[in-house]
Amino acid sequence: MATLELNNLHAEVAEDGGETILRGVDLEVSSGEIHALMGPNGSGKSTTAKIIAGHPSYEVTDGEVLLHLDKDEFETDGVEIDDDLTWDLLDLEPNERAALGIFLAFQYPAEIEGVTMVNFLRTALNAKLEEREELFEDDEGEADAEEEDDAGYDTSPMEGDVDEGEVGVAEFQQLLQEKMELLDMDEKFAQRYLNAGFSGGEKKQNEVLQAAILEPSVAVLDEIDSGLDIDRLQDVANGINALREEVGTGVLQITHYQRILDYVEPDYVHIMLDGEIVKEGDADLAKQLEEKGYDWVREDVYETA
Amino acid sequence: MSTQVHASVDESTVRQLSEELGEPEWLLETRLDALDALEDLDFPDVIQTPGRLWTDLADLDYDSLVDPLGAAEEKDQVGPDGVEVLSFTEAVDEHEALIRERFGSVIDPQTNYLTALSTALFSTGTVVYVPERVDAEDVKVRTTMNSRSLFNYTLVVAEESSSVRLLERQETGEDVDGDRYYSGLVEVAAGENAYVQYGSLQNLDQTTYNYQLKEGVADTYGQVDFIDCNAGSRLSKSSVETHLRGDGSETKIVGAFYGHEDQHFDIDARVWHRNENTTADLVTRGVIDDESRSVYEGVQDVGRDAWNTSSYQRENTLMLSDESEADASPKLIINNHDTEASHSATVGQVDESDMFYMGSRAIPERTAKNMLVEGFYVPVLEEIAVDELRDDFERLVRDRLDSRD
Amino acid sequence: MSSDQDHLKETETEARFEFKKEESSAFEAEKGLTEETIRVISEDKDEPEWMLERRLRALKQFRQMPMPDDWPGAPDLSEVDVDEIVPYIRPDIETRGGAENWEDLPDEIQDTFDKLGIPEAEKNALSGVGAQYESEIVYQNMQEQWEEKGVIFCDMDQAVQEHEEILKEHFMTKNVPASDNKFAALHGAIWSGGSFVYVPENVTVQMPVQAYFRMNSDGMGQFEHTLIVAEENSEVHYIEGCSAPKYSEFNLHSGGVEVFVGEGAHVQYSTVQNWSKNTYNLNTKRAIVEKDGTMEWVSGSMGSKATMLYPSSVLKGPGATDNHITIAFAGENQNIDTGAKVYHNAPNTKSTIESKSISKDGGRTNYRGLVHIADGAENSSTSVECDALMFDNESTSDTMPYMEIQESKVDVAHEATVGKIGDEDVFYLQSRGLDDDDAKQMIVAGFIEPITEELPIEYAVELNRLIELEMEGSLG
Repeated sequence: MATLELNNLHAEVAEDGGETILRGVDLEVSSGEIHALMGPNGSGKSTTAKIIAGHPSYEVTDGEVLLHLDKDEFETDGVEIDDDLTWDLLDLEPNERAALGIFLAFQYPAEIEGVTMVNFLRTALNAKLEEREELFEDDEGEADAEEEDDAGYDTSPMEGDVDEGEVGVAEFQQLLQEKMELLDMDEKFAQRYLNAGFSGGEKKQNEVLQAAILEPSVAVLDEIDSGLDIDRLQDVANGINALREEVGTGVLQITHYQRILDYVEPDYVHIMLDGEIVKEGDADLAKQLEEKGYDWVREDVYETA
Repeated sequence: MSTQVHASVDESTVRQLSEELGEPEWLLETRLDALDALEDLDFPDVIQTPGRLWTDLADLDYDSLVDPLGAAEEKDQVGPDGVEVLSFTEAVDEHEALIRERFGSVIDPQTNYLTALSTALFSTGTVVYVPERVDAEDVKVRTTMNSRSLFNYTLVVAEESSSVRLLERQETGEDVDGDRYYSGLVEVAAGENAYVQYGSLQNLDQTTYNYQLKEGVADTYGQVDFIDCNAGSRLSKSSVETHLRGDGSETKIVGAFYGHEDQHFDIDARVWHRNENTTADLVTRGVIDDESRSVYEGVQDVGRDAWNTSSYQRENTLMLSDESEADASPKLIINNHDTEASHSATVGQVDESDMFYMGSRAIPERTAKNMLVEGFYVPVLEEIAVDELRDDFERLVRDRLDSRD
Repeated sequence: MSSDQDHLKETETEARFEFKKEESSAFEAEKGLTEETIRVISEDKDEPEWMLERRLRALKQFRQMPMPDDWPGAPDLSEVDVDEIVPYIRPDIETRGGAENWEDLPDEIQDTFDKLGIPEAEKNALSGVGAQYESEIVYQNMQEQWEEKGVIFCDMDQAVQEHEEILKEHFMTKNVPASDNKFAALHGAIWSGGSFVYVPENVTVQMPVQAYFRMNSDGMGQFEHTLIVAEENSEVHYIEGCSAPKYSEFNLHSGGVEVFVGEGAHVQYSTVQNWSKNTYNLNTKRAIVEKDGTMEWVSGSMGSKATMLYPSSVLKGPGATDNHITIAFAGENQNIDTGAKVYHNAPNTKSTIESKSISKDGGRTNYRGLVHIADGAENSSTSVECDALMFDNESTSDTMPYMEIQESKVDVAHEATVGKIGDEDVFYLQSRGLDDDDAKQMIVAGFIEPITEELPIEYAVELNRLIELEMEGSLG
């Protein structure tokens, strides 16, 4: 069980006189849950996502971002720690956060020429495994070198060649192929350069593929549904549902639209306005929003305030 | 070579010239300093590769080309209300303080031998002054040269939040036996948030050697755009340069030329990024025909402090004849890594498959070629805000195309 | 204002004059590079009279020619003092070339060798430490195979003795004459060592011919001359130099490379150079390509204080082709000025130039290239692509191409871009678990990928590893 916890998060753009964007965000996402974070443009949704992942453009002025990991979350890492752990993510580099199981699907993924998908993903996976070792070693205390037996998820790549801290090429190819089939992606993607020349939809599919391979504890999906046609929307939704069901990932889904929520039903819906979460509810709230629009929320909120 | 000019031009010539124009002492001093400096100054930079000099300016017989006291011209200077369009002499009379402050502030008179010569000997010019927050369109200056040599000077000052679009053109009138020399210096200063589009159309006759240097400075959020069209002259060295000194300043330098017979064009477009958030776009397109030759140098120079620079340069030359020659050198000098810069250059002929396609639609070869050449200029013509400049250049191109064998 | 300038000019002139006086008095001293020095070298090598004459003529030209330092942005060569060279090249003076022992090498070089994982014996040979590395044996087997086909691969000194006719015709005559530039002239006067490769008609040499281990004694490898003659329809891939840094106390490397590509022949010349950071690397490399021949230049320039290197191809015969692939990497205090020159002198000739450069920590890279299409070279095409990546604001990246087009039925395209490593790209990779260094290295590897994919695999791996080493410590 993993829980991502945002407490009273305040943030501004990291430059002199930078604009304040977040004004006290509280949010909790645990393994296996699906949350939808909705709100009009400029309300602070994407900023929230970027701060969770550690984007350098924003400065947190108050509040905290915590990640609680129950010990079952790191049993497969071969460490002997009896207690659950809590990490203050704001102290960690983006790659360390990724290693602990935070995944951000970008609204606008970077295009990187010359680096093939397969090379990139295998490097990322191995970097994650290696970084986890270091992170947990610091916390291990009286370390016991004894390896734990496999107790993880059936499809976990972490069962792999952990001795070298590396997933081998052949093994990885197979893993990649499986995940690509799941998302109905063409095999040739593996040999293409990372996002270079991908269509908008292909990029989004690729983000979900990466989540499937890295098996995060908590995935933040920033407008994963924009620019997708209906077929691809279904593929992407399947990918997200599989993440929850097979990996137990907690999902924070940022979206403008009800559309994807028809395929990935949220357990919780949060509505953001001017840097705060102003309304929370279940899937019905999203439907209400679809009917009445954000003005309804605005009126509702500012009247009561 | 400089001694040649010294033979016919001396201090007394310059003093006489200045006196006839009724100039103040400081201006005479500036002229005399420039004259003095001639001896030590080099000719404008030209590109040299192993065994080849792209343009030879030192080889001209300046002594016989330069006749400073015989200058004759016709000049039209018009502009709308709210903006001052004055002859240089009027401007010195009416705004001496302004002229004294601005003269030589963009182009150092002693930049090179030819700028110094021009400063020492210019007898005519135009000053365009646009006060704060004034928007001016259609400022037009037309110079018709009637003598062996003519040295011209132009100053454009656009104050804060003003804008101006102007067109300056050079032509030759009465015939003169033998070769001629035209020299023009243009200084453009765009103040904070000001916009200047300076267009020029050079159509001197083909016995004229032509040297022009146009430099602009853009202050904070200011923009200086140049449109440099060259059709005439025997040989032209025409340099257009913008100094982006203000934060957020911009420039667009558009060049178009059409060379034929034995014309030689040496065209330079240069931009100096010297502050943050500046943008430059350099676009030049030229056609060369017969035995003509074009030389192009483009420079995008990004200084150490020019953070967040965007800089683009494109140059395309179309060769209509096998005897023509096109030389090009687009350069990038980048000293700040927070830069997005690119340049491209192409040289080629009219596309054969395009010709075939048009032929298959029953368009005769000659018409097809003319259409493609005219089409080639479209991307640069689209940038021109003054209709007259666009129309006239288009007409010049059409005339040249029609006169082809 | 002008009077101030005049004053400055005067003092400058005077200073220059003073400098000249000093220089010439040093020149007259015995240690200087004199005719006598050249005679001693030639005599020691037991060279024929014609070679001595060529050396002496080259020396004369060297003295007359100007330094190539007046080009825009050209590296500062004022520290190069050729008179210092004499002790390194005179066989009668006890040599000071290289370091005596491994331990005497600068730490950074030892470090690089260790990280490249090069075995001790090779380290000694490659780093210029005096020990002889028994490279001859490695090549014995291959050489037997080649000899059967009439392929010659030998030391240049040996070639002067044994293949005099070929050398007389091809050595610094129509390809790189000593008059080409000042350092070609110097090279012509004092050249020593290098390789001679001769491939007869219709012969394909399967294995790349490597001069990797040949630079193993003092002085060699600093003024080495490479002569490759590929006859009609032959094929050979020559690999020179090595990615390990080569250390010498004397700071000038001035090699000469001449390639003759016969009709329909195909020559690839690959080199990854990583000279120690005190070296001035000033080379002249040229190929003359006959009808339907193909010349490929692949170069990686990593080390040195300053490099000036512009491999050129003269496409002499119709249908001749040239490919250039270059990578330049400039770190702290390095000025890497490289490029390509191509002369299209016949119809249907084709050239492609692909250049990638990386600058960081105040280093400067410059692409300086010339493409000349002569009148009559119709249906020729050339395409030039230069991309530069800058790491920080102290560095400089310049691009200076020159195109001279005298023929209208051509297709000429040049493109260049300069960019930086994007923060968003780094963040994206970091969010997937790569640390900052790995993320940047991955982006750099991607950037040079189009070039490394053209290199033989072991070179590509080494080049990547070297670039990783160069970036180490400067990142993060």
